[in-house]
Amino acid sequence: MREQPSGLKTWIFTTDHKKIAVLYLITACVFFFVGLLLATVMRTDQLFPAGSKFLNGELYNVVFTIHGAAMVLFWMIPVLLGFFGNLLIPLMIGARDVAFPRLNALSFWFYLGAGIIAVLGLLLPGRLDFGWTGYPPLSVITNTNTALYVFAVHLLGASSIAGSVNLITTIVTMRAPGMTWGRLNLAVWGIMGASIIQIIGIPVLAAAVTLLLFDKYLGTHFYDASMGGSALLYQNLFWFYAHPAVYVVALPVFGIVSEIISTFSRKPIFGYISMVIAIMVITVLGFEVWIHHLYVAGTANWARVLFMWGTILIGVPTGIKVFNWLATLHKGSIEFSTPMLHALGFISLFTIGGVTGIANGLLGIDIQVHDTHWVVAHFHYVLALSMSMLAIGGIYFWFPKFTGRMCSERLGKIAFWLTIIGALVAFAPQFYLGVKGVPRRYWIIPAEYAGYMRIGSIFSYIAITGFLLSLINFLYSAINGERAPSNPWNSKSLEWQIPSPAPFYNFDKIPVITEGPYEYGKPQGKES
Amino acid sequence: MNNKGQAVHGGGIKHHELELSGWPLVVGIGSLLVPFAFMAHFSWHQTFPGIFLAGVALLVLLIGLFGWTSQIYSKELDVGLSKVAIIIFICSEAALFGGLFGGYIYNMLPMEIWPPITTPEGVPPLGLPLFLTVILLSSSATIYKAEQDLEDDEMGSFIGWLLFTLILGILFLLGQAREWYHLIEKGFTVSTDEYGTFFYLITGFHGSHVLVGVVLQLFILLLGFSGKIDKDKSTILKATGYYWHFVDIVWLLVLSLIYIVPYRG
Repeated sequence: MREQPSGLKTWIFTTDHKKIAVLYLITACVFFFVGLLLATVMRTDQLFPAGSKFLNGELYNVVFTIHGAAMVLFWMIPVLLGFFGNLLIPLMIGARDVAFPRLNALSFWFYLGAGIIAVLGLLLPGRLDFGWTGYPPLSVITNTNTALYVFAVHLLGASSIAGSVNLITTIVTMRAPGMTWGRLNLAVWGIMGASIIQIIGIPVLAAAVTLLLFDKYLGTHFYDASMGGSALLYQNLFWFYAHPAVYVVALPVFGIVSEIISTFSRKPIFGYISMVIAIMVITVLGFEVWIHHLYVAGTANWARVLFMWGTILIGVPTGIKVFNWLATLHKGSIEFSTPMLHALGFISLFTIGGVTGIANGLLGIDIQVHDTHWVVAHFHYVLALSMSMLAIGGIYFWFPKFTGRMCSERLGKIAFWLTIIGALVAFAPQFYLGVKGVPRRYWIIPAEYAGYMRIGSIFSYIAITGFLLSLINFLYSAINGERAPSNPWNSKSLEWQIPSPAPFYNFDKIPVITEGPYEYGKPQGKES
Repeated sequence: MNNKGQAVHGGGIKHHELELSGWPLVVGIGSLLVPFAFMAHFSWHQTFPGIFLAGVALLVLLIGLFGWTSQIYSKELDVGLSKVAIIIFICSEAALFGGLFGGYIYNMLPMEIWPPITTPEGVPPLGLPLFLTVILLSSSATIYKAEQDLEDDEMGSFIGWLLFTLILGILFLLGQAREWYHLIEKGFTVSTDEYGTFFYLITGFHGSHVLVGVVLQLFILLLGFSGKIDKDKSTILKATGYYWHFVDIVWLLVLSLIYIVPYRG
């Protein structure tokens, strides 16, 4: 065992995957906090009737732009791939670090740099106000400092590509002896699928925003219809990545849910093979859905129908996963710990979002609800609320492993109930507004719907309080929590077989794997 | 692949040799300066600070990369993981060019005349591109020969073939630059029309990839001269080889879609 160096410089110059994971976690939580703050600002604005609002329309645009970018690009993707990917992959496959430790550190610094640029997008003149999608011609013809947007995406993309190359190489080459593909944790499979999507998708997004930069500053005409270009090209290139980006978040989440549910039901995960196949099918099929963002943009009919089928088909592997989780719970000896509650909360919120997503994917329905509050409600259930909740649950689950301390269960459970109660109602009224055709991104809500929005606002405060309580819990428990035993949840997975916190070099001796990670219920389940 | 992983652990190689390295942070800072250099000129119209910042960024990046690579070649063993990584990275690059070509085709297909009538006569040219094709294709063969020689431990021959590859790569870049120069003289620029926009975009992206390949080859050549590369430390050459072949294949697509399809005889 090697001596662990200590001091501040071990954090700044670190190449250790666990430390880098924690750096990712801290930065991502800061952006989560910023995103929640901006959400509070918008929700408070919606409390008041038109005319007495404290934000003006321009500022409102800036707030929802940065809220979206902070939440999707700087909280969810980094916390799932950057934090969970870095922390879990080496521990779960029995390796001492990722394949390229220095590249891993560079990924983090790129991410932090992108974050700095994004925050400047909120503060510097020429604030980003065109939505997190950055559609031309709006992003080209106004005085907005589009360069901030483009470079934030570039740096974040460089971070993600480097990180994904690293994680995939690690999984392919560094599995411990006996760690066959069939014995990998589902979290590893999920992160693998997400990394593949990053590898294929991000370059296309990078190309899209690069052309935006050229159009704005160098006089090209990629997106200028008057010069033979096409603004729709941007939408196509953008959503080619930005829709699969949902699965970049979702696939690791699916893996983590499986870990938590199997552990706290004391049962092997139901249908391991079908889970793996579902992850890989989603990885591939995720690239055959993006046109559903362009149903009403004048897309050819054959493309709309083709992509409608893709959109609906992707519900099948997703549904398989939900049923497998329920089957795992069935007749399990369930323990309602904080992580487990979060996993169950995730399933309920995700199902609401998923079912409305199928409806949203149908061409006829989408034409009515496109760009309305329905869409806002749908993606907040399917992506924002459910997956943030699960990310928090995952942090609760592995907290002992990376801090060496237990999280407060009591505070965690209070935080969970606040979050779930708030989350279930916060966006429900917006489904109704959407069906009525109230467009999203408008600063003013029509007076007859103000009451509905007010209910949503009040419950969103409850959910935000829940999330903030969890963040406070993490901070508090990291300093004052009880010392954690090596395996507080009695998990069979490899990362719980080493001391907590995971020692500097992970494994004293590289383990030889003889069983899969979910071998519960055996009389003498051995784990190396 | 699995065997390779086991070899990494089973062979008693301490893969994770280093605990601390400041070089990633240096490279990260250098990269963060680039956007500010760009914005200083284009958003805030401060040209001199912009150029100054760009210079600083380049310097910091060079220092960072130099420190990083010298750390690699001073103490670590070569376990060949980069060979897997470069293949994954090439998939990523393929997606990048897929996006660019996709955009080009997306704009070209609805047009009745391609290139548009605003494109000057004699654009695109075909003579020089065909010559450049021959150059680039031969360089793929020469880098392969260099790899073989390194495998066989024939250092002199290895350096010779690699140098030859490097010269071919530089020739290609010079040819491309000459062509751009002539076209711009003819009044064919990025702002001419859609074809011009995509022409410079795609040839430019491809050219920048050739440039990266040339820099990598130059770097390996320097390693070769200082004796830091041998048959057991050949991963960087193999990885560069894969990358170089990929750039070659992309060129064939550039040739067919950008030069031959719009060619008007």
